[in-house]
Amino acid sequence: MRKLRGMLSAVLGAAVVANALTFAVAQDKPYAGVVIDVLTFTGPQIAEPLQRRAPDFAELTGATINVVTVPFGDLYQTILTDQATGTNSYEAFVFAPQWMVDYIVPGYLEDLTDYVANDPDLQWDDVAQFFREFSSTYQGRIFTIPLDGDFHMVYFRSDVLEAAGLQPPTTWDEYLAVAEAVHGTDMNGDGEPDFGSCIAKARGEQGYWWIHSIASPFLQTQGTSQGVFFDTETFDPLVNNAGFIRALEIYKATTAFGPPNELNIGVGDTRSLFSAGRCALTLDWGDIGPLSVDPEISVVKDKVGAVITPGSTEVLDRATGELVACDDMTCPFAINGVNHAPFAAFGGWSGGVSAAADPLVKEAAYAFFSYMAQPAQANVDVTIGRTGFNPYRLSQFGDLTPWIEGGFSEAGAREYLGAIEASLASPNFVLDLRIPQNQRYQQVVLDEVLSRFLAGELTAEEAAEEIFMRWNELSDDIGRQAQFEAYLGTIGAQ
Amino acid sequence: MMKRFFATSSPFAPSPAWRIFSYALLIFWAVVVLFPLYWLVITSFKLPIDVSQGPKYLPFVDFQPSLHAWEYILFDQGVTVTRPYTNTIVVGIWSALVSLVIGSLASYGLTRFTYRPKPALVGVFLALAIGALAAVIAGVPPLVAVAAAIVLFFLIAQTIGRRFKGTLTNNDIAFWLISQRMLPPVAVVIPIYLVYQQLGLLNTHAALVITYTTINLPLVIWFMRDYFASIPFELEESAFIDGASRYQVFYRIILPLSTPGLIATFLIVLVFSWNEYILALFLTGADTQTMPMLVVAQNATRGPQWWNISVLVVLMIAPITIMALFLERYIAKGILVGAVKG
Amino acid sequence: MLVNAQDPSKAKALPAPQPTLLMRLQADNVARMVFLLPSVLLVLFLAVFPLLASLYLSVSRIQLVRGGFNIEFIGLRNFERLLSGSEQRRFLGRFTEFNLEHWLVLGAVVLVMVLMLINYVRSPRFKWAGIPVRLVAIAFGAAITYLLLGTLTGRGLPGTLVVTMIFVFAGVTLQYLLGLGLAMLLTQELPGKRFFRIVFLLPMMITPVGIAFLFRMMTDTLQGPLAPLWALAGLRNFSWVETAEGARLAVVIGDTWQWTPFMFIILLAALEGVSRETIEAALVDGANRAQLFFHIILPEILPVSMTLILIRIIESFKIIDMPQVLTRGGPGTATEPVSLHAYNIWRAGDWGGSAALSYLLLIVVTFVALVFMNSVRRRVLEWV
Repeated sequence: MRKLRGMLSAVLGAAVVANALTFAVAQDKPYAGVVIDVLTFTGPQIAEPLQRRAPDFAELTGATINVVTVPFGDLYQTILTDQATGTNSYEAFVFAPQWMVDYIVPGYLEDLTDYVANDPDLQWDDVAQFFREFSSTYQGRIFTIPLDGDFHMVYFRSDVLEAAGLQPPTTWDEYLAVAEAVHGTDMNGDGEPDFGSCIAKARGEQGYWWIHSIASPFLQTQGTSQGVFFDTETFDPLVNNAGFIRALEIYKATTAFGPPNELNIGVGDTRSLFSAGRCALTLDWGDIGPLSVDPEISVVKDKVGAVITPGSTEVLDRATGELVACDDMTCPFAINGVNHAPFAAFGGWSGGVSAAADPLVKEAAYAFFSYMAQPAQANVDVTIGRTGFNPYRLSQFGDLTPWIEGGFSEAGAREYLGAIEASLASPNFVLDLRIPQNQRYQQVVLDEVLSRFLAGELTAEEAAEEIFMRWNELSDDIGRQAQFEAYLGTIGAQ
Repeated sequence: MMKRFFATSSPFAPSPAWRIFSYALLIFWAVVVLFPLYWLVITSFKLPIDVSQGPKYLPFVDFQPSLHAWEYILFDQGVTVTRPYTNTIVVGIWSALVSLVIGSLASYGLTRFTYRPKPALVGVFLALAIGALAAVIAGVPPLVAVAAAIVLFFLIAQTIGRRFKGTLTNNDIAFWLISQRMLPPVAVVIPIYLVYQQLGLLNTHAALVITYTTINLPLVIWFMRDYFASIPFELEESAFIDGASRYQVFYRIILPLSTPGLIATFLIVLVFSWNEYILALFLTGADTQTMPMLVVAQNATRGPQWWNISVLVVLMIAPITIMALFLERYIAKGILVGAVKG
Repeated sequence: MLVNAQDPSKAKALPAPQPTLLMRLQADNVARMVFLLPSVLLVLFLAVFPLLASLYLSVSRIQLVRGGFNIEFIGLRNFERLLSGSEQRRFLGRFTEFNLEHWLVLGAVVLVMVLMLINYVRSPRFKWAGIPVRLVAIAFGAAITYLLLGTLTGRGLPGTLVVTMIFVFAGVTLQYLLGLGLAMLLTQELPGKRFFRIVFLLPMMITPVGIAFLFRMMTDTLQGPLAPLWALAGLRNFSWVETAEGARLAVVIGDTWQWTPFMFIILLAALEGVSRETIEAALVDGANRAQLFFHIILPEILPVSMTLILIRIIESFKIIDMPQVLTRGGPGTATEPVSLHAYNIWRAGDWGGSAALSYLLLIVVTFVALVFMNSVRRRVLEWV
C-alpha cells in the first residue's frame, strides 16, 4: 500500500513538473515525431521507470520512447552485435558503464560532454563526484548519464547483532567473527537455524564481483587512481600477492556460515533469503535497502542496518607483495586505523546514446536521459523499491521525506543513506575494471577460476597464479600496450 | 483398429498381481511427472513471501493464493507479454508447417526415386562453395560470387562430371540430411546472423521460421520417410495407370493416407520450435522475441521471479497441451518409425 | 489400410525401384528434383555455408574497430589454447598421473580396436580405402580413452568435454530404459492407458528453460517442495549443488524428466508395430515373458531404438539450457557442457574462441555418431 502510494505520488509529481515545463516551453515540442528505441534488460528494475516516465517526456517534447528489453545476461552482447554489424536497431542504451570502453573504442557511443555542459537542468554538480568524474567518463570525456548509483555495502540484521551484543563489522575479520557468532541461531522466529552470512556465489552471475569488494581494502590505499586490478607500472595483474590471497581465503571462509547451496545462488536468492529473515549479514548493492521495507517480500522491516564495506588494518605493499600494517603513510585515508575501499562494482545503470543515430534523435535521446536524471524525477525514483535505481546525487541524501514515504522508518532511512554517503564520500572508492573486453577478464576467467577455487579444485595460491597467467595472456592477445593505456585512462592515473 | 499385444482377450492377459504392479509403476511415474507441474501451477498463485519462507503446498491451507503474478503478466505487462506470445504462435506454426511440407517432399522423393549423386561432384560443389565464400570475404560482391560458383558447378557437372565413378545412395542422402541436427547452434549462429543481416531478415518472423524449419527438417524426414515407405506402391500404380501425375499422386493419395503421421510429426516439431531458446536469443530483436526468452528474462538482478516464471510457463504449456489432448489419437497411430528397418 | 501398411514384411528395406511402371516413372527427372531439392538447398544454405564461415571464424581473432570489425588470421591458436594452452584445464580437464593400471586399460582398448581392424582386413568386406578411416577412428578412440581415464580417475578432474559425455551417456541410457519400461507397461490392455499416455507426454511440451527453472525449485533443499524430506533424512545442510556429483546428478535427472517422453512415445509406436500374430505364435510354442521379450520383441524394436538413441545422443551433446539455468555450470566447472562453455565465451565477445570450441564439439559428435552408426548399430542389426 505504502509502495503504491509512493509510486502514485511519484507519477503525480512527475506530471506536475511535466505540466509546468510544458507550459514553459509553450506549444513548441522540439522532438515531435522522433522515435527512440531504448535497449535495456527485461524486468521492472530499469524498464519500469523508463516506461513510466516516457509518456510525460513525450508530452513534454513530442518524442516517443520505445523501451526494448533483452535478458540481463545478454545485454552486453546484444548491444555489441547490433552495433558491430551495423544493424543499429537502437538509438539509446541503458547499460553498465563498465562495458562502455568496448562501445567507445569502436565509436558506437556519442560523446556527451558538450550536451552535459549546455544542460543546466541536469544539475551535473549535484551528482556525486565518483559518478561524475569516473563512472560516466572515459579519458576525460562524458559518455553516459548515470541513472543509478551502484556499489557494494554490507547489510546486517540490527536486531540479531544487538541480541548477540555485537557491533557491525568494520574489517573483514570482524565480518567473519560476527557471522560465526550468530550462525545457526533462529533469526526469523520459525524455529529453524538461520545463517551468519549470505553471499551470492553462483557462477555466471555476480560471483566475481564480491572478491574485489573483499580484496580492495588490501589492495588500494592511495585513492581511486591507484586501482585494484593491475599494477600501474608493469600492468601485471594484482592477484598473486599476499593481499589478494588473503581476500580469497576470507571469501571462501564466509561459505561456512552461509546457506548450504550458497555456491549456486545469485543475488536474487540472497536478497529473498535476507528479506525472509534468514541471514544476519549480506554483501550487496544498494537494492537491499528499499527491498527490506517492501511489505510484500520482507519480514525484516526496520531491522536492517547498513555499513560501508569492511576494510582492513593491513594493506599490500606493492613493492614486496606482502602485507604491512596501516599507518599514515600506507593508509592515508584510513578511518580509525582501518583502510576502507568501497567497490563500485558494475558501476550503476547509465544511459548512452548511439553515435549512429540522426543528430536530432541523438539530441532527443540525450534529453530523455537528462530528464530521467534530473532531481525532480531521479530523487523520487531512487526511493521506490521496485526500481533498481539507487542514490547517486547529493540532494538524494538531504531530504528524508521521499524515503519515509517509500516505507522507511526515519532511523532506517538515516542509517541506509548514511552508509551510502560514507561510501560515496570516500576518496578511496574503487572503480570496476573497464578496459576493452573486460568481460573476458572477469566474466570468463575470474568467474571460472573463483568458482573452481570455491569448489575446492584449486588452492588460493593456485587460483591467484592462474588468474595472473590468464589475464596476462588475454592482455598479450588483445594488445598489452593498448590495454595498459586504456587501464590508466579509465582509472584516471597518470 | 490397431491390434496390441498383451491384450486382455489374448491367452496371456495380465494376472491381477501383474496388473497391480503395473499400476503402481504407472502411478509412480505419473506422480513424478505431475508433481513438478502441480508445483508450477501453485507457485503462479503465490506471493513472493510464500516462496521465500519455505515450501508451502496447499492453496487456502498453507497460503492464501493471490492473482498478483497473473495480473502482472496479463494486464500490467501488456504488449511485453502479448507480443512474444503472438510471435511464438506465429513462428511455431509456420515453421512446423513449412518444415512438414519441405520434409514430406524430400521423404517422398527418398522413398520413391533413386538418387545417385557422385561424391566427387559433392566435393567439387563444396570446393566451389569455399571458393565463393573466400571471394566474398576478399571483397567480391556476394551475388557475383554465388552466381559464378553456380555456373562453374554446372559446367563441371555437365562435362567432366560424367566421368566420376562411385555414387551415393538414398540412404546416404537421408543420413546427411538427418545428421544436420548434430550442429551445435553456437557453431553456426554468428554466420547465420550475418547472412540474415545482409538480407534484412533480422528481427523478422521469417528469420526464425527459416532457421527452425532447417533444424526441424531432420526429424520430419526421419518420421515421414518411414511413414511413406510403409504405404504400398500398388496404390500409386493404379493412379498412374489412370494417368495421374507424380504431384497429383502425392497430393491426392499419399498425403491423405499419411494424415496421422503428418499430424504427429507436426505436433513434435511444433513443440521443438515453440520451446527453442538459444537461436531465438541470437536472431530476434525487439519485435520478434519469443516466450522462452521472456521466461529467462524473469531472472534478472532481483533473482528468479518464480511466480512470474510459473505464469509464463503455464501460458506456454496450455495451448500445446490442449492440442496434444485433441490430437493424441493421431500421435498414437502417427509414428510409424521402424516400419522400415533403419 | 493401415494394418496392411504396418506389416513389416512388406517394407523390409528401402524400396528398390520396381520394374515396369515405376521404371518408366524414373524418367520424370523434374519431379524427383522438385521433391528433394528444397530440403537440400535449405540445409546447404543454413547449415553447410554457415559451418564453413564458422570455420573461418575459428582461425581468426575478431577485433571491433571503428566502423565494423577486423578479422585477423591467427592460425590454429584458438584450437591450441583449448587443447594444450590456458583453456585446456577447462575444456579437457585436469589429468591424473598415469600408473600401470591406466596404461594397461589404455593398451587393452587399443588392442581390441587393432584386433577389430585385423578382423576387418580378413573379412570379405575388406577394401584398401577403408583402412585410413579406420586408422583415424583408432587414433580418435585411443585419445578419448586416454581423456576419460586421465580425468575420471585419481586426481583427475573432467573438463567440459568429459562432462558433456557424462551427460550424454547417463542421460540417454536412463531415458531409453525408462522410456522402454513405460512403453512396455502401456502396451497392455489397461483401463486408463490413454490418461497415462497423455500425462507421460507432458514434460516434452515444456520449454527446456522452464523445466530448468522448475528443477531449480525441485532441487532447492531450503525452500523447495522436497525440503521437509531432506530435513527428515537429516540432510538439512546438504545441497545437491555443493558437490560435483550431486550437481551432475541434478542435471541428469532434469534432463531425463524432460526427454523420457520422447523415447517413450516412439518406443510405444515401435512396440505397437510388433505384430500380434508373431507373439501369439511364440506363446503357442511355450515362450515365457523373458524369452518373449529377448527373442521376439527386442529384435523387432532394435532398429528403431538404434536410430532413436543416435538422435538423442546427437541432441544431448548440445545440452545447454538445463545446466545453464539449474547450476550455471558450477560448482567449479563440474556441470559445464561444451555448448555452455562456448556460449559463455561467445557472450564475453570471444567469437573466434567460441567457433573453435564449437568445431571441436562437432568433430567429437560426428566421430561418436559415425562410430555408433558403423560399428554399434551395424553389429546390432546384423545380430538381429
